[in-house]
Amino acid sequence: MPSYTLSHQAYVKIYLHAAKYPHKTVNGVLIGKKGKSREDSVAVLDAIPLLHLWTTLSPMMEIGLELAKTHAESRELLVVGYYQASERLYDNVLPPTGEKVVGKIREWFKDAIALVLDGNKIGSGEAGLIPYLYNGVTWRPDVSAFSPSSNISLENPRSPSRALDLIRNHKLHQQFNDFDDHLENVSADWLSNAACFDENPTA
Amino acid sequence: MATSSIEKLATWRARGTRVSEQIVQQGVMMLENGGLRKMGDEAWSFLEQLALASMDIGRLELADECIELLSEQFPGSPRVECLKGIRIEAENKPKEALEFYENALLEDEANPALWKRQIAVLRSQGSSFILRTVNELTKYVDTFYTDIEGWLELADIYAELNIYDLSLQTLAHVLLLASQNPFHVLRFAETAYTVGDVPLALKTFLRVIDMDDSAGQEGNATKRAWWGVKLAAARLLSFPNSPSESQTSLPSAEYLRLLNELAREQLTGTYFPTSVGGKVHGRDAFVAWLGK
Repeated sequence: MPSYTLSHQAYVKIYLHAAKYPHKTVNGVLIGKKGKSREDSVAVLDAIPLLHLWTTLSPMMEIGLELAKTHAESRELLVVGYYQASERLYDNVLPPTGEKVVGKIREWFKDAIALVLDGNKIGSGEAGLIPYLYNGVTWRPDVSAFSPSSNISLENPRSPSRALDLIRNHKLHQQFNDFDDHLENVSADWLSNAACFDENPTA
Repeated sequence: MATSSIEKLATWRARGTRVSEQIVQQGVMMLENGGLRKMGDEAWSFLEQLALASMDIGRLELADECIELLSEQFPGSPRVECLKGIRIEAENKPKEALEFYENALLEDEANPALWKRQIAVLRSQGSSFILRTVNELTKYVDTFYTDIEGWLELADIYAELNIYDLSLQTLAHVLLLASQNPFHVLRFAETAYTVGDVPLALKTFLRVIDMDDSAGQEGNATKRAWWGVKLAAARLLSFPNSPSESQTSLPSAEYLRLLNELAREQLTGTYFPTSVGGKVHGRDAFVAWLGK
């Protein structure tokens, strides 16, 4: 199994998306690249938020996925995964829709990963994300991820506390936009969410 | 200033806007300035609104104050009982909340508000309660056929369970009840596409566009529907033998090409507005997508 690192930017965006629509299920894609030095490492560099309105329906997901892929390629990056946060905070299972989408991504990138937000861990200082990986038959959660011995890690261990700070004290989620927002208003910058860029905090 | 607060709160109430932080901020100001008396009869629905908003953002002590005032005024009212139930939910005690609603429903059988809360708590319990949720909700919409929210919730659950044909059937009831709401029609169209009935999806996306045109303005449903038309028309052009469970007839290839072109023009117009000043994001990705 390859190793995965999740960048600060990608981490923060997943949480901002969930915070903007706390009573909705939200989803999006992860973009990144294979590691330079080691072929079997995957760097998740950014996240592109897709839907919050009808996350189980496929037309806008199909279009959003294609647009996100095109955008990633223009930055010489790949779509490497999928993320989802359930409207039910403590529900941290990858649902059928999620499996379908990440299955589609897997056709493009065989080491695709899915991350499901784990509401039980918010505010604990832990990552609060459960990775799902394909074992050849089905998508299985990796419950030991983000521990010191795991090969799935955060680039910056301060990302979880920083994300909470950005939401609670800076209300940054209010400026965050996904593809559904963009469909209502083309001025919504869903592909890069530049207004929500956060400097990587130093220890 | 106090008047404008009253007006703001009333507008949010009328529209069901869930801006909980702002409601609490304005609401607390009202309470501190003795605004309750100025509000007259409106005071009670304001207190209900404030109770819900404060629970939403975890200000439980404030919610308790509101609920107590309401309880004194309307002892035993199902609407206040409902608030008390939600208060238990707010402490994240689903078991106790379920028990509370079950007892309250014994007193007042088939009270829609209490019944809906019970269903909401069942649903919040995730997959192990899903059958019971579907059961209760089916009974509920059978009893209160005109409750659109109930039907929408049921459609949502079916979609989540990957049973899209039942989701589509459920949405058909919604369209019977509220045929004038373009968002319901749009949702039907997107579900039809998901279930694989692309001809029906295309027809329904076009219906959304027709509806908005008659209102004389281009709403958000229309913008989204054009994307749907583009997707569905292109798909039918590539796969002319797409199945249609609903036996919707397929338009001619010529008509499909026309629709495809029209949708392309509409979408391009959004990304290249003729008026100056409007900021547009994602134009490059859009152009590249069109070229595919």
